[in-house]
This record gives sequence, C-alpha cells and structure tokens, in this order.
Amino acid sequence: MKQNILLQLHPLTKFYFSLFILVIVLIIPGYSFAFAIFPVLVLIAVFAGVSKEFLSIVLKALLSVLIIVFIMQMFFYPGDHVLWNWGIFSIKQEGVDYGLLLTSRILAIGSSFILFFRMTEVRDFVKSLEDKGLPPMGAYVVLSTLQIIPEMKRQANTIMEAQKTRGVETEGSLLIRAKAFIPTLTPLILSSIAGTEERAITLESRAFSAPVKKTSLHQLTKSNVDRVLPIVYVLIIVGLLVWRFFL
Amino acid sequence: MTVMIDLKNVSYRYPVSDDFVLKNVSFSIEKGKFTAIIGNNGSGKTTLCNTIRGFVPHFYKGDLEGDVIVDQTKILDYQLGQLGEKVGYVFQNPFIQVSGVKDNVFEEVAYGLENLGVPVEEIIVRVEEILKLVKIEHLREKNPFELSGGQRQRVALASIIVMDPEILVIDEPTSQLDPVGTEQIFDIIRLMKERGKTIILVEHKMDLIAEYADDLLVMHEGELVMQGPVREVFANPEFEKYQIQYPHVTEIALQLQKMGTPLAFLPIRDEELAEALNMTGVKIHD
Amino acid sequence: MKRSFKDDFNMMAMLLIPIAVAVNLVGFQLANVLRLPIFLDTIGTILVGVIAGPWVALLAGLITNLINAIFNPVYLPYALTSMAIGVGAGYLSKYGFFKKIPKTIVAGVIITFIAVIISAPITVLVFGGATGNTSSLITATFLASGQQLWTAVFSSSFITEVADKVASVLIVYFIVKGMSDRYLSKMNYGHLYMKRNNKK
Ligand SMILES: Nc1ncnc2c1ncn2[C@@H]1O[C@H](COP(=O)(O)OP(=O)(O)OP(=O)(O)O)[C@@H](O)[C@H]1O
Ligand SMILES: [Mg+2]
Repeated sequence: MKQNILLQLHPLTKFYFSLFILVIVLIIPGYSFAFAIFPVLVLIAVFAGVSKEFLSIVLKALLSVLIIVFIMQMFFYPGDHVLWNWGIFSIKQEGVDYGLLLTSRILAIGSSFILFFRMTEVRDFVKSLEDKGLPPMGAYVVLSTLQIIPEMKRQANTIMEAQKTRGVETEGSLLIRAKAFIPTLTPLILSSIAGTEERAITLESRAFSAPVKKTSLHQLTKSNVDRVLPIVYVLIIVGLLVWRFFL
Repeated sequence: MTVMIDLKNVSYRYPVSDDFVLKNVSFSIEKGKFTAIIGNNGSGKTTLCNTIRGFVPHFYKGDLEGDVIVDQTKILDYQLGQLGEKVGYVFQNPFIQVSGVKDNVFEEVAYGLENLGVPVEEIIVRVEEILKLVKIEHLREKNPFELSGGQRQRVALASIIVMDPEILVIDEPTSQLDPVGTEQIFDIIRLMKERGKTIILVEHKMDLIAEYADDLLVMHEGELVMQGPVREVFANPEFEKYQIQYPHVTEIALQLQKMGTPLAFLPIRDEELAEALNMTGVKIHD
Repeated sequence: MKRSFKDDFNMMAMLLIPIAVAVNLVGFQLANVLRLPIFLDTIGTILVGVIAGPWVALLAGLITNLINAIFNPVYLPYALTSMAIGVGAGYLSKYGFFKKIPKTIVAGVIITFIAVIISAPITVLVFGGATGNTSSLITATFLASGQQLWTAVFSSSFITEVADKVASVLIVYFIVKGMSDRYLSKMNYGHLYMKRNNKK
C-alpha cells in the first residue's frame, strides 16, 4: 500500500485532479462524457487500492440523490415531448435528458471528490495547503476539529447513558425524546467551551505564536509527476475551451 | 546572583472578579533557585503563576497593578510569543494540556519545537532525549487523548522542558500521580535545577518540597504572607496560622515538642528527626 | 503590550470553531438517535455567531460542510448556506436579538429566511430542485399540484427549516444563559450576555 504510486502523489496533485474533473465535466456538453468519467474514476480507485471504500461511499452518499434528482426531472421538467402519461404525471423527453445531464454531472463531480478523500489523508491535504500559505491557525482549526469530533461523539454517548440511568427518558413520545436532547448537549457544549481557555494557554505555552517560521516533522515531497500533471490539466482545459468556444 | 523574577507591589483582579485575587505581592527570585508556592485552594497560586508567565494580563486582561519583571524586562514589554521561549509553563489540568492536533506522544512533545522553528534533525534528537529523561519512551506511539491522567502530566512536562526554557513554572504536576510517579517528577525537576533553570513549583506535597525546594512562598487569600528559605518558613510559628500542612516529620516533631520533648532544631526531612532528637541527649534506644 | 487584545480574542474565537463544528455534528447525530423530526445541525454555528460574531461563525459553517463533504459531497455547495447562517446569527446577536426569548424566536425566523434564500437556488441549479431529503417530498407535492419550481422549492424548504431553526436558536439561547461570565468575558460578543456588567 505504501508503495502505491497513486497514493504517493502530492495531495495537491490529487486535489487539482478533482477540480480538473469538475471543470471538464462542465465544459463538455451532454451527459455521455460525464457518465464515462465514472468508470475511469473506478479504475483509478482500483489501482490506488481504495475501490471498496470508494464504491461504498458513492453508493451511500450519491445513489439516493441521483435517483431522486432523476425522477424529479423526469416528471416535472417542462417540455412538450411526452413519452408517457398517467393522470397528472407525465414523463417528457426533455425531462429525461435534463435528468441525465444533472445526474451525470453530480456523479462525476461528487465521486471525484469522494475519490480524492479516499486517496489523501486530510492531515496531508491540510499540510499541503499550509505550504501554500494557509495560516497556521487555519490549519490548527481544521486538524483540531478532526480530533474533537470523535471525542465529542464519545462524550455525548457517555452523557446519554448517564441520563438514562438517572431516569431521563430517551424513548417514548416526541416530546419526551425532545426533552432528552438539551440535557445531553448542553453539558457537552459548556464543558468544551470551558476548556478553550486552557487550550489557548496550552498553545501559547507551546510557543504557538512565537514570532518565527515554524518547522514541521511532517514533510510532503513533490516528484516530477507532481510538477507535470497540473500543467497537463491546465493544457487540456485550455484546449477544451478553445475547441468549445472558438472552433 | 542575578534576579530572574521580580514582583513589586503586584495586585491583580480578573475582569469578572469583584475582589483582587492578588493583593500587593512583592518578592524576587534569583536565577537557578527552586521556589515552591504553597497555600490553600483558591489562595491565588495559579494566578501568581499566570502572572509570572505573562498570561496575566496579556491573556486574562483584568486590572494589574505594580511591576512584574522577568529577566530584567517588564512583562508588559514582552510579546506573549516571546515569553514562550523564556518561561515554560506546565499548568494544572492535565486533560486539556495537549495540543489537540497530534496523533502520537512523540509528535506531541515535538510540537513546541516545531513552533519555535527548530530544524527537524535537532527536534528528533531533543525529543528522544526528553522522552528518555521523563521515562515515557514506551508511550511514544500512543495517542495523547488515550493516556491516563498521570501519563498526560508527564507528557505535558516533557513537552515543556524539551523547549529548554530558562524559567520553569509548574503548577501541581503530580496531582494525578502515585508516589513513585511523583518521585520521578521531582527527580526531573531536580535535574532541571542542576542544569541551572529557575524553577517555580506549586505543590501540596510538603515532604517533597522540604526535600527539594530552596525557598517557599506562602499564599493566603491573595496575599503573600510568608517567604524565605524553606526551613525558616516551616520553623516560623506564624506558619501554623494558615492551616497549611507541614511535612510529616515536622508535624510529628511539633507534637513531640508540645508534649515536652526538647528539639535541637525543627526537622523538615525524615532523616533529620533522629538528629534533632539525639543532639538534645534524648536516647531513642536504650 | 505589543500583542493586541484583538489577537487574544482571535485565539479564543478560533478555538471555538472546532467545538462549534463538533456540536453541529453531534447535534445532528443526537437528533437522529432520538428520532426527532428536525436536523439540529446548525446549533454550533449559531452559538458561535451569537457569542463570537459573524466571521468566526462563517468559518465554523464552512468547515462543518467541508468536513461533512469528505463523506458526502452533496454538502459541499450548501457550505454557502451554513456560512450565511453563521453571519446572520452573528449580526442578529450584535443587534441584541438573543437577549430575550421573543426576539430570539424572531431571530430564528430570520435565520430560516436566510437559509432558504441561499439554499433554494443551490437546490434548483445544482440538483434540479431536490436532493432526497424530507423537503424533496413536499417539493414534489407542490410541483404535482401545479406550482412553479422555484416557488415549490422555496416554500417546501421554508416549511422544513422553520421548526428546525427556531428550535436551534432557542437551544442556543439557553446554552448562552448557562455560560459563566468568566468565559463570556473572553468572547467578542460575550459582554452582551454577561450577568454582571463588565466595567470596561
Ligand atoms: N479566569 C478566572 N476568572 C475569574 N476568577 C478566577 C479565574 N481564575 C481563578 N479565579 C479566582 O481567583 C481566585 C484564586 O484562584 P487560583 O486559581 O489562583 O487559586 P489556587 O491557589 O491556584 O487554587 P487551587 O489550589 O484550587 O488550584 C479564586 O477565587 C478563583 O475563583
Ligand atoms: Mg491552582
């Protein structure tokens, strides 16, 4: 896994690839091309060894959206070429076409971002942005958010359990369940906020605002491929734009 | 001897407190001295530490009167970031005292050095050394969030001393530790003193203070009521008034004295008891 | 003092952002576990807006959606909505909307409008009118009964949002009530909610 060439690409190279997909899908008209992107992404996922996670997240996150979007367009997009009719419902050719266009784009763009995050550690991505000039505080906020979320979820569960043993109902009518919400969330929020003061002191004690340029144990390397690929993306996009608007 | 920390008539009130939490506090600490601050809960020990570290008033705001001078420079003339290199501060709550962005103890300890812009090769050497010194090498791969309170306290201490500050302010570093862990922390503090650091420690364990510290500051309701060499402060009858614990042996010796046993001097370390009694001719063994 | 007060505010405010994001996520999860009919996934953003101001809340909203987008890219375009909710809550707080319950409810309705005005165009332009959540069903019903797409999306999203946002602002109101002066005094807008008036 560690030796995988695709995974070893610089985070920004991978990120630019997702942006590249976004741009070309919007430039090239019609849905066939956008739909054709998806198998390509699957292939990349297979080569990167992340196909399982990739496909499962695409299914979970996008499938229902795609179906709903398509059905909505099929029935409600205005048009004259009625294909099928039942009472107030009618399927029109224009709706089907627009539905395919929308879903093809959502699928291509959405799954390219899903793929990006399967192939890139968020920590590496943040580091690459920091190298590009994201202020240290911004990087800190994102990384610390990622650490706090599981911690808070765990605490929320603990508090819920404690509530239950103290007799706060979490089952029953809507009102009863709603009443359990506040005593669970409030102490969690208050104690977290109470900790910010000491967290600020901790950061200062660790010289967070020392007036020098920070170093980092964590270094990202750029290979030649990382230097060339972004240029290739840009050239292709420029080519497509010329083809689309000037030829 | 150069004066490292100098407070002159310092009074301080937090923005939301009605009363002054520090009242007219004056003292000075020489370079290389190990000073312990003791006092009951809420007496202002932590606030005093915050003042020396510059968090009062830079961070906490509120009203600060008098002068706080650290290494010949007034605290108000420092930038908060600059003080970070000079004064290392390990504070009370070990649970929050992690950077919150590092996945393992090694990186956690390295964090301060990264922020100081120390070259990577040097960071690795220094962190290795400190992990060994603080005896947490076995934790290096652990997530800081998954440590026990005592382990966190050691990581917190390591994270600060790795930055090699001239002054160490340490607020109750052993509250979560067992006697063995506590001894280890004091050993490290002693080592820091041998390296010439100026040390300020808040601690409730009087036996250890008696054994290791040079000087004592006694806080009581925001006032600095007593100060001086450890032995003198404990020997001063006034000390009893503040209802603060004595070292165990001192407690016993005082009891004996009350019951009529004469003492040559007031012992503050265990090994002194026999001497204090023997010199007066009282025989322990017949 | 060379380091300004403002910087310190920033540090405290910035440290609130991770908490706000986590509260958004935990709130959503909790609402799910308790099978509540509303999302309660903007409590953190609104809270930060109220005590730390619009710009911190904007960041909190943005980061919430970015992090959600790691597992579901549909959240990505709606980052704009979250950011707008944060800014809205911040300005409403500045003008004293969160001090008493009645005005807080008004603030909830205003925030609903903000959310709807920003999210409806995204729903229409990016997703053609529906993304598969509860309001999609209402949208479909409106469309089937002959309404225009935009009207249908606006009204359905207003219906689903208003209860959520009013409940959220009320929860925020009670949380702020429960915060001690000691922490409020460190927040940009904290002085608005302190029990004892700060002298400075
Ligand atoms: N940030 C703060 N804002 C307002 N008041 C504070 C703050 N920190 C401490 N205080 C108050 O100042 C007084 C002194 O507190 P401090 O923490 O300095 O005492 P301490 O001697 O360290 O106590 P302990 O032994 O419990 O750690 C207390 O009355 C406390 O409530
Ligand atoms: Mg204290």
